Amino acid sequence: MSFKEIMNIISIVAIPFVIFTFLIYGFAKKVKVYESFVEGAKEGFNVAVRIIPYLVAMLVAIGIFRASGAMDVLVAILSPLTNLIGFPAEALPMALMRPLSGSGSLGIMTEIMKTHGPDSFLGLLVSTMYGSTETTFYVLAVYFGSVNIRKTRHAVIAGVISDIAGLLTAFFICKLVFG
Amino acid sequence: MMNYIWLALIIIGIITAVGTDIYESSVNKYKNDVEFDALIELKEKPSVETQVKGILKVSGEYYKNFYSLKNFTQDTIRNEITLRLKSDSTGTAILNISETTPDFWKLMAKGKGTNTDKLIANVKKFEKVGENSYKVSLVFEKISLVKIKQVLNAVIEYSDIAVKIAIGLIGVMALWLGIMKIGELAGLINLLAKIVKPLTKRLFPDIPPEHPAIGAIIMNISANMLGLGNAATPLGLKAMEELQKLNPKKDTASDSMVTFLVINTSGMTLIPATAIAVRAALGSGDPAAIISTTIVGGFAATIAGVTAAKILQRLKIFKKELEENNENKKEVEG
Repeated sequence: MSFKEIMNIISIVAIPFVIFTFLIYGFAKKVKVYESFVEGAKEGFNVAVRIIPYLVAMLVAIGIFRASGAMDVLVAILSPLTNLIGFPAEALPMALMRPLSGSGSLGIMTEIMKTHGPDSFLGLLVSTMYGSTETTFYVLAVYFGSVNIRKTRHAVIAGVISDIAGLLTAFFICKLVFG
Repeated sequence: MMNYIWLALIIIGIITAVGTDIYESSVNKYKNDVEFDALIELKEKPSVETQVKGILKVSGEYYKNFYSLKNFTQDTIRNEITLRLKSDSTGTAILNISETTPDFWKLMAKGKGTNTDKLIANVKKFEKVGENSYKVSLVFEKISLVKIKQVLNAVIEYSDIAVKIAIGLIGVMALWLGIMKIGELAGLINLLAKIVKPLTKRLFPDIPPEHPAIGAIIMNISANMLGLGNAATPLGLKAMEELQKLNPKKDTASDSMVTFLVINTSGMTLIPATAIAVRAALGSGDPAAIISTTIVGGFAATIAGVTAAKILQRLKIFKKELEENNENKKEVEG
């Protein structure tokens, strides 16, 4: 069995396993499982509602930025810099979109693989980049929003540093392995 | 920090949109008020004040030059058109936008903002040149402020998406908060925290080692690594709730929160499921080829992020925010 197959099986079994273990363990420890479940689940609605203002603020700003075509301008400004390390200009929109928008970067990844082929260097690069970081700004908005935190201190800078490190490493490792 | 980034996204977006629109109108990108010549084949004889359907034909060369397009390779363009003529050979034409319509017309139709499935044109000339074949000159409706309209649409659309995402979370959120409550009362979360203590006491020194926050954090990170996005978010929000209980000032992020979030945003995963699925759908010979490179990328992002968070939290500007809060608190208490 390959690594991928093993991981696939684990990820399918994980959730049923966790639910099963929690219920049986709770029952064995004489927890009133049904009542506790409902007690905990009650909060679900409140958490979801609490993040709405934060999500609206963040997604609208990202939406304006995407619709305006500012991304193309940014690509034009940054491409001389990224050319210095041999980073392909075609993959630059992906690097810029990834921290901002999940659906946006998925679209860019699909588009690049359609034009250049999924097994081309560019295709391998953008799909590695897609998996190497998360949509930082969305995660920050949702997670801090859920507990009403407005002053995020160094979270944005640390998050962006992590994105840059992930994207650059993705580029160098792809060059090493596929280049 | 968030203030500046948020403002920058909006301001840069609006300035770019306005700038692009001014530029596009100055070069008349959409050829407002310019006559477009084409041939139309009609199935029936045109009569005054009735609608007739036909096919508009134009050479790719003419189209390319007319709109000053850089990459246009199509030889001939054929598009469905509906005509309504007056007695003096003028009238109106409606161009139906379909899958086969050239991209630039699609863009123009989209740029109107309303009725995006058709382009309306004034017929300036209409002459018979052969059997069922007519020569026309068309002036398309004016198209302007395309980017600003798109930005406006995005504002409405994205506020809608934000609410839909939040509402979509309610179900899984309730499920996992319920399960976690059982685990908490049974002592399972504490047990989990105890197991990973050697690692977490370094990463999160300000959380008591057997606090439920650690259990929730571990479950969230595990879910992320297995690519279980649906479970990861509720577990992560549960962890935030626990971290908030330990947070001295409730509107400011604590050191542990930032460290936890950076681990979350760096997307360390063992199975990049989405990327693999897209690659497979596009006919890749080896969709899973990116697993190893993605693990390396995600790992590097996590290390860099955690290191950055640990260094930055000691900087005066970020530390000050926490201390200021404490002073305020003392004043209130005093």
